[in-house]
Amino acid sequence: MPMVTAETVKQVLRDLYGYEISDAAAHSIARGAGAMLTLAGHLGSIGIAGIEPPFGYPVLLAEATRTSKNKS
Amino acid sequence: MSIPFQELLDFDVATLSAKLRARDISPVEVTEAYLGRIEQTDGSLRAYITVTDTLARKAAKKAEVEIAAGKWRGPFHGVPIALKDLVYTRGIRTTGGSKILADFKPDHDATVWTRLKRGGAVLLGKLNLHEFAYGITSSNPHWGIVRNPYALDRIPGGSSGGSAAAIVARSAAATIGTDTGGSIRIPAALCGCVGLKPTWSRVSRYGVLPLAYTLDHVGPITRTVRDAAMMLQVIAGGDRNDSTSSRERVPDFSAGLDGEISGMRIGVIRELNDGLSEDVARSFNAALETLRSLGATVDHVTIPSLPMAGIMNGIITWAEALEIHEDWMRTRPQHYGDDVRRRLEIGMMTTATSYIRAQRARARTLAESIAVLADHDVLVAPAAAIVAPKIGTTQILEGREDRVDVVAAILRFTQPFNTTGQPAIAIPTGLSPDGLPIAMQLIGRPFGEHEVIRVAGAYERARGAFAPPPEIT
Repeated sequence: MPMVTAETVKQVLRDLYGYEISDAAAHSIARGAGAMLTLAGHLGSIGIAGIEPPFGYPVLLAEATRTSKNKS
Repeated sequence: MSIPFQELLDFDVATLSAKLRARDISPVEVTEAYLGRIEQTDGSLRAYITVTDTLARKAAKKAEVEIAAGKWRGPFHGVPIALKDLVYTRGIRTTGGSKILADFKPDHDATVWTRLKRGGAVLLGKLNLHEFAYGITSSNPHWGIVRNPYALDRIPGGSSGGSAAAIVARSAAATIGTDTGGSIRIPAALCGCVGLKPTWSRVSRYGVLPLAYTLDHVGPITRTVRDAAMMLQVIAGGDRNDSTSSRERVPDFSAGLDGEISGMRIGVIRELNDGLSEDVARSFNAALETLRSLGATVDHVTIPSLPMAGIMNGIITWAEALEIHEDWMRTRPQHYGDDVRRRLEIGMMTTATSYIRAQRARARTLAESIAVLADHDVLVAPAAAIVAPKIGTTQILEGREDRVDVVAAILRFTQPFNTTGQPAIAIPTGLSPDGLPIAMQLIGRPFGEHEVIRVAGAYERARGAFAPPPEIT
């Protein structure tokens, strides 16, 4: 199981977001995040080889077109 | 002769609309009845964040004049509705249920509101929700705790808690909600009304404050299945302002409503048929018997990866929600409620690889579901494992040896269909011995809203009128 420690959580919040949290809160977040990363690791077991992520070029192109129209 | 206020408030949209069109009643008197009802109930319910009474009266008067002149805009002309307060309304405060956006007035309307407004709907106000739609209790630390009309000490569910509470309390004729992990279906289920989450992309998300871009759905919360179909008819369809909205043909969602379901095949999802409270299990089994009595074939189906779909939903929501909120989390984290801030902080630990993997895995569960739907018309599952818990409850003992987490006991049933993007409708099946609503959900093929509406409509007719909540003061 991937370990996320309370110290890691506190450091991320302090260094990347600029605020401090209590030890108890950091432990709680670390438990939740550790469980999440463990479960994410299991997603490969349901047979996702060869499956593409659902991000298509048509949406990218449509967004580019829409936003360029909005700017003009 | 004028119709008594209470009778006006009891009309569903279909009935109300027919009477408005026939000029049996006026939009002005209907709107006044609803504004009076909000005044009467909302001190207890806290369903509304903003009541747009002046604008509502003006819109009602305009509708009255138009209808009198024979200019009928459609079934929502003159009908008083309300919007979850994350739907942009130009010039009208749109808070997202947050302190951060407490004074935010958008400079444009969301497409769903544009379409309803064009159809002549009268906006009563903006509805309370779980802060930023990120939670299922609607116990909002900034705008008040939304209460369940069936028991004021219980949650209405969420995040569209105000939308469902207002429907059941008769303080709006129809409402709009959003659903990222169950936020339309959960409050509909716990409050005893109908909630329809369409196929992802069926309804434009333009101008709707996002929680998670690839999981957010916009849809109706109503008293009846017919009302939900009617409202979806107005808001569905492609939108140039939302590149992800579908150009799929919009069918007549009400067309099959009065049809029989004899011969239809309904699959009970095995992976969602355990861990139920005794009351929920009893009500669900009775609903299945009703479907059988209508001539449908009801058998069990399996979607093996479905339990993992909730995990996919969680990971994607953590990542996308944090991306949306990251600037505010840097500059004003203290302005979030504790639970929402905590979820966003967990999101900070999400890895890019887990997010991409969760996105890829969605296709597996959807493929399995589509395969099952090759020889079934719709799927069915409970909408939640438990009835509405008391406000503040985090764990619950429901005839089990171990306590279960309230959030998990509820989300487990709804999240998978945000992950797959399939249409799903929640419909009440009965009351517990404590008088609390219980519901099932019917799930369809992508863009098969008409099929879930048809089965839900047939069930609703067979079930009969649903018992209203106790009087709210």
